[in-house]
Amino acid sequence: MSRRILEGKGVAKSFGGLMALRQIDFVLEEGEIVGLIGPNGAGKTTLFNVVSGVYPPDRGELFFDGRLISSLKPYQICRLGIGRTFQIVRPFLKMTCLENILISLIGRGERGKTLEEKKKEAREFLEFVGLRNRENSLAKDLTLIEKKRLEVARALATKPKLLLLDEVLAGLNPSEILQALELIHVIRTQMKITIFWIEHVMGAIMKASDRIIVLDQGEKIKEGKPEEIVSDPRVIEAYLGESNA
Amino acid sequence: MMKTWISLPLIFLLIFLPFFLSQYWLHVMIISLFYVMMASSWNLIAGYTGQISFAHAAFAGVGAYVSGMLAVNIGIPPWLGIFVGTFVASLLGVGLGYLCIRMGGIYLSLTTLGFSEILRIIITNEDRWTRGTMGLQIPGFFTEYSKMSYYFLFLIVSAVFLFILYRLIHSEMGLSFRAVLNDELAAASSGIDTIRVRILAFTISSAMAGMAGGLYGHYLMLITPDIPSLGQMFLVLAMAVIGGMGSFIGPILGAFVLEVLSEYIRIYGEYHVLLFGLVALGVARFAPEGMVGVIKKRWKVKESP
Amino acid sequence: MAEFLMYFTNGLVIGVINAISAIGVSLIVGIMRVINFAHGELYIFAGYFSYHLSLTFGLSPILAMPLSVFFIFLIGILMERLLIRPTYGDEMYSLIITFVLSIVLQNSALLIFGPYPNKPPALISGSTQIFGLFHYGNQRLLSFGISIGILLFVFYLIKKTWFGKSVRAISQDREMASLMGIDHWRINMISFGLGAALAGSAGVIIAPIFPVTPTGSSAISLTAFVVVVLGGMGSLKGCVVGGLILGILENLGAAYVSTMYRHIFAFIILILVLVFRPWGLFGQKT
Repeated sequence: MSRRILEGKGVAKSFGGLMALRQIDFVLEEGEIVGLIGPNGAGKTTLFNVVSGVYPPDRGELFFDGRLISSLKPYQICRLGIGRTFQIVRPFLKMTCLENILISLIGRGERGKTLEEKKKEAREFLEFVGLRNRENSLAKDLTLIEKKRLEVARALATKPKLLLLDEVLAGLNPSEILQALELIHVIRTQMKITIFWIEHVMGAIMKASDRIIVLDQGEKIKEGKPEEIVSDPRVIEAYLGESNA
Repeated sequence: MMKTWISLPLIFLLIFLPFFLSQYWLHVMIISLFYVMMASSWNLIAGYTGQISFAHAAFAGVGAYVSGMLAVNIGIPPWLGIFVGTFVASLLGVGLGYLCIRMGGIYLSLTTLGFSEILRIIITNEDRWTRGTMGLQIPGFFTEYSKMSYYFLFLIVSAVFLFILYRLIHSEMGLSFRAVLNDELAAASSGIDTIRVRILAFTISSAMAGMAGGLYGHYLMLITPDIPSLGQMFLVLAMAVIGGMGSFIGPILGAFVLEVLSEYIRIYGEYHVLLFGLVALGVARFAPEGMVGVIKKRWKVKESP
Repeated sequence: MAEFLMYFTNGLVIGVINAISAIGVSLIVGIMRVINFAHGELYIFAGYFSYHLSLTFGLSPILAMPLSVFFIFLIGILMERLLIRPTYGDEMYSLIITFVLSIVLQNSALLIFGPYPNKPPALISGSTQIFGLFHYGNQRLLSFGISIGILLFVFYLIKKTWFGKSVRAISQDREMASLMGIDHWRINMISFGLGAALAGSAGVIIAPIFPVTPTGSSAISLTAFVVVVLGGMGSLKGCVVGGLILGILENLGAAYVSTMYRHIFAFIILILVLVFRPWGLFGQKT
């Protein structure tokens, strides 16, 4: 039986006079992979920031695993089981890849494991994203795709039940996109992690998602299966509007 | 391996050197060790978590005055008094840290600056208790005064400080410190309680300043509002910045170099502050990793031609 | 009663000067997220400049004052260009650099001007009777007037001009502002210069009333910082209200409680604000 893992009720957020999110309602079922799309400035990243606790919503409530999380701090939300990546990758640049992963393991707040045991576990995550041979390189010396992999590994190492991926495919070439999609598939099927992701690479997100939520100017304008989305006139209009502007 | 080859002879040098030094240079070495404690513990917050506290000298002042006044007024022995001073400094550290750190680094810098000024004003004006700028005479640690004993006391405490700092930096907590310094938001999103980490670093560092100040006071045996002054704070900061912030060796190197240099410059008048200020500006602007950074770069260039 | 009113008026006069000085700090914080710890030194330097321009070089005080402020403006621009700009975005280094600079400037002031307090000549002498209650120095009244004028000018600059609009845009959302094509380098430089000039203005206004000394600078910086935190970081209105509150409280406190502890009141206010309303009177929460 599937159950609600993340639920937003009337979530609103504004900055100064600008309404970034207006009364958004949404639900993610456990095990799903849900895409979040919309033109620039639609409020996608704002929604992720609100879910992960970077800033609290002005109004509305967020539930994770049945728990109210809308007033929690980022580290608390992370410990409950929401991992995230950032649109512009934010690895700890002056730390090695291994240390980057270690931070996530330390962030879990588990007791009873030595640093050596944690290092061993961290290496497994590096192995998983194919960075095992780079463990002692500083994050700032990685290529963009390596940084993105590190970012995903870091989010995974927090042991999330839900993973928020913010444009992990941007800037990758077609074969790299295929590799990344494979990784996402494994995360979902083998690690049993629910995925909520923002993506501009339409082909990929349509192919890999169970459901899509479309935002435009802070409002949810459509939600449904990928094939329903591509044929919806309002969605097409929102995107055409962007290319005309 | 490399590290043992360097540190073993250094330890021998530090142990046997004092027997060949004049009383004056022994004094310079003791003061340098005081600055090693101060600059290294300040480096823990500034270099490893990226928060600038201007109250480090003030906390040393708290340590010195609390212990000194306890000794003078109710006869508590300095050995015990310095621990009380350390405790008071760490309490103040928790309080200020808790108030400011959640609001961000700028607030910590502002408030600690204010705290330093206020402490200086109180000590200067409450002369019934502190003897103001005249200075308060307090007892020393040893019944028989000997610079050699003080040298070894300072050497041992410095070594203990450095050992604690080294272990801390290389522990999980140290990794959290560096994560917070690198990217606060990313650290928070990885499950690190960034506020707690920062308050903790600030408290440990403040406590160490309190202890160092207590030792310093009972060595000088005359404590004045100069100990918690911003001028003193500046020297500590300059030592860490010029030596190399965020490196373990940097502040140690900076403390010795600047203290010894200031002795030479003092012959020509009190220009060392101005000179160190200009050098620190240049270093912060052009070589933010300090002397250690410059040495490392040279080393690398030589290794791989 | 008359005595109380006089202290209160003193508080008002000091309050508006506090406000000018605090706006200098607030403007720079709002735009660049940089605290200028050398603020008090710029203030002191302006006082010394006006002293030497009028007494050593024989300039009329009416010319010496604006000229001193202009020099401080230039120093501010140079500071931003040479020292602050490279640290842009690295809060820690900007704090270190402005603090070190404050020490350097303080020591230079001691070398150049000596440790003694200096008082530039007053623009005007005599006193006026206020509401038939007490006599009040004309120089202080004039200072009050000039300060109000400067405040009005700054408000006009921020609310009505192109520069002000850019400043507000950057303070609210830096990324958005750069998308809108605002050249933030130029705005940063001008704002830093303006912030310095405001410190300088406060310095030249106060110097004929209270003489300046090189060692007085940290207390001046501290007052400005407390006003900024009390009013709310980045809020101009907050600077004015905060400046007046602090000016009045300090003067009444100094008169009725203790002169020595003038600055302690400021620190107590700072702590109270941090405990009860850390975002300040007019600041934005979060």
